[in-house]
Amino acid sequence: MANRIDLSKYVAYLFLLIACFLWVVPLIFGVSTSFRSQTEVVNVGFRLLPVNWVVENYMGVLNNTSTAPILKWLWNSVFIATSHALLVVAMVAITAYGYTRLTFKGRDTLFFVLLAISLFPGVVNLIPSYKIIDTLGWVNTPWAMIFPGLAGMGNLFLVRQFMLGIPKELDECAKIDGANDFRIFYSIILPLVRPVLIVVFLFSFTGSWNDFLWPVIVYTDVNKMPITAGLLLLQDIYGNYRMIGQLMASALIAIIPTVLLFLFAQKHFVKSINLNAGLKG
Amino acid sequence: MKLNGRLTPTFFIGPHLIFFLVFFLLPSITGIYASFTQWNLINDPVWVGGSNYRTILFDTNSTFHHQFINGLKNTLLFVALSVPLLIVIPLLIAVSLEHKKVKMKNLIQAIIYVPGLISISAAALIWGLIFNNQLGVANNLFGVDVAWAATQPYAWIIIIIITLWGGVGGNLIIYRASIHGVSRDLFEAAEMDGAGPIRKFFSVTIPSIRFPLIYTFVMTTAGCFNVFGQPLMMTSGGPNQSTTVLMMYIRDLAFSHGESIAGMASAMAVLLGLVILIISAFQYYLLNRNAS
Repeated sequence: MANRIDLSKYVAYLFLLIACFLWVVPLIFGVSTSFRSQTEVVNVGFRLLPVNWVVENYMGVLNNTSTAPILKWLWNSVFIATSHALLVVAMVAITAYGYTRLTFKGRDTLFFVLLAISLFPGVVNLIPSYKIIDTLGWVNTPWAMIFPGLAGMGNLFLVRQFMLGIPKELDECAKIDGANDFRIFYSIILPLVRPVLIVVFLFSFTGSWNDFLWPVIVYTDVNKMPITAGLLLLQDIYGNYRMIGQLMASALIAIIPTVLLFLFAQKHFVKSINLNAGLKG
Repeated sequence: MKLNGRLTPTFFIGPHLIFFLVFFLLPSITGIYASFTQWNLINDPVWVGGSNYRTILFDTNSTFHHQFINGLKNTLLFVALSVPLLIVIPLLIAVSLEHKKVKMKNLIQAIIYVPGLISISAAALIWGLIFNNQLGVANNLFGVDVAWAATQPYAWIIIIIITLWGGVGGNLIIYRASIHGVSRDLFEAAEMDGAGPIRKFFSVTIPSIRFPLIYTFVMTTAGCFNVFGQPLMMTSGGPNQSTTVLMMYIRDLAFSHGESIAGMASAMAVLLGLVILIISAFQYYLLNRNAS
């Protein structure tokens, strides 16, 4: 009996060790190659860490502002992801209040009709969405990525569930004290739903930062695109892996913001899913 | 005051409603309408009835037919290869992590989760280094000389590997949270009845996390049908269009540099959407029925 339990421990450890190795080694190779000189990349072959650490790849990438303006892409991504995530949070909080604390005819029916429609596969609306963005004059502008995502129902569902858990008595007391809905929303409900709003912010930010298909469609101007779309161009610009150090440096510049965000807010990323699973399970 | 009372809901739910109508409902309806038209995204769409669908589905001389069949075949192959792995691998990792004696659980979880926060284009550049046929790590490691992206079945293998690398972490966290929520008593009772780890996994863990399993299965499948970035970046759809998925054809037809064939692309999008809907509904029905 004791033997069996110990064996299961070693099986678990072995399995986790292999998984961690496979998941982390590509990143280590990416980082170390970004700090290798071009001659070392070509000549040394299979080595985990650089013989000489150099920053020439990063200098090369940052200085190539004509064909691959990576700092501009980075700024575009920061602007797009931050504004998008902030607007999603504001929109979702206000709307969830409407669907949970206000009473009006057909409120819940309307919500579930929207939810049902939102399950319709998004691939169908891809081409007309581009047409709408084009009609609005938003092609090659940040608005093309900031606004359409505000239509989503997933975050709204999450925040609505959360708000439903807040006792009605709180609003009623406030109403007796003479507060109107705007006041109740701002002073009572908003502070209480803050944890779930942080989660919505983080997922909207990373989702927008890493979006790929949509930016590849709506951005043709090299100076206007976010960094995910920019990296697609880099495969050609850096000679299809002939300037491999530059490619790795660019990839890592694009990775750093979301990974840093995760390291600072790891608790929220994981807790969010707990909450998610708690709702669904 | 009364007027104010009526305007309040408009203020709170109105803005989202407008966005939903403009950026979801309107384009969804337009997408279905456009699939029955000839359209170049510039002029008004011209109604052609079911002609796009007839061409795509039945006209064996048409390139659209071949693109659709090839794209759908490749998309289905991708779904069939990646979905089981995207369910089983995170489940095994989650169960291993739940082992009482395993330490550094959060660090291990973070290591596996972080690649999911990396955009597909950045991830593809890194994996492109590893599978590069001249400088690549993989060829050195295995002592082979393979042009991974240009040879089958390796082209599929590298697409699946990068998909797993980025996709396992999300489901892992859902499974961990769900297993964590299962009452300890159940496991202890099973242990007292003499159940080993494997028996506990199948008799306690799996039934207890039934809903998260169904949820991730349906969502992962629907997500995999929209695959686009991995083949575009890793193989450019090659060799010989053997990894060109349906999303790549849809994008090319609607948005490539020549004249847009958005009507035809819309018909392909509607067909792909239908496949996703039918398979999701079928999965949900099947799993929910078998489990209850």
